[in-house]
Amino acid sequence: MFSGRNKLYLLLFIACAAGYSWIFYDSATISAHSKPVEGCLLKHIAGIPCPSCGSTRSVLALMQGNLIQSLYINPFGILIALLMLIVPVWIIADLVTKRKTLFDYYRQAERLMKKPRIAFPLLFLVLVNWIWNITKGL
Amino acid sequence: MDSQKVDMFILTNSKFFESHHVSQIRDRLLQVDDSKWGLIQTLQFNDPTTSLIVSLIGGNLGIDRFIIGDVGLGVGKLLTCGGFGIWAIIDWFLIMGATREKNLTKLQQVLY
Repeated sequence: MFSGRNKLYLLLFIACAAGYSWIFYDSATISAHSKPVEGCLLKHIAGIPCPSCGSTRSVLALMQGNLIQSLYINPFGILIALLMLIVPVWIIADLVTKRKTLFDYYRQAERLMKKPRIAFPLLFLVLVNWIWNITKGL
Repeated sequence: MDSQKVDMFILTNSKFFESHHVSQIRDRLLQVDDSKWGLIQTLQFNDPTTSLIVSLIGGNLGIDRFIIGDVGLGVGKLLTCGGFGIWAIIDWFLIMGATREKNLTKLQQVLY
């Protein structure tokens, strides 16, 4: 889909900005009403959590330094936190040095994840996490 | 390439591409060498309607994006509950076009 580097970077940048503002908004709501806002449509409609439900709480727990708790709530949160920390820095570094290392990495990662021997274990992990989410009752 | 072959290809596969691309595809196919015909015949395209159905059902988990080969976007959708449901709804309208674009890229890889 992404023919150009800048298009991908813009999208990633918007995604990161949205992520940061969502976390800021959610933590503000928690401190005001001591209850997080639930953004998941699937949970609202079907009543069961989706594979990534609880990742906001996980990121918030990680921000307070509770690594174990954040792992327990949803391991995806740590992945999201890492992405949100690394991607903006990487984009800025690429723009300053006028290279496209992140774009090349993105392409390579896409190609790797299309291979069945990598895709199926990842799919399995997501499914396990989903089942765990449902049993935890997030 | 033989215009009869090209027209047969267009007839059977035009639903996989954007309508404004079809005439360009036809022109290009007429120019290419006959030896590519076998390769073009074996190409498998994604049906836009199928990806719309998948998007309606599994859009929240990013399955539609995985199917058409946008793995990066699929992961993004999966990690964010389909972009808090908003992206999932937007994709109901974008996914058919995205599928056709992907099909065109697939064809272009063979033609150029």
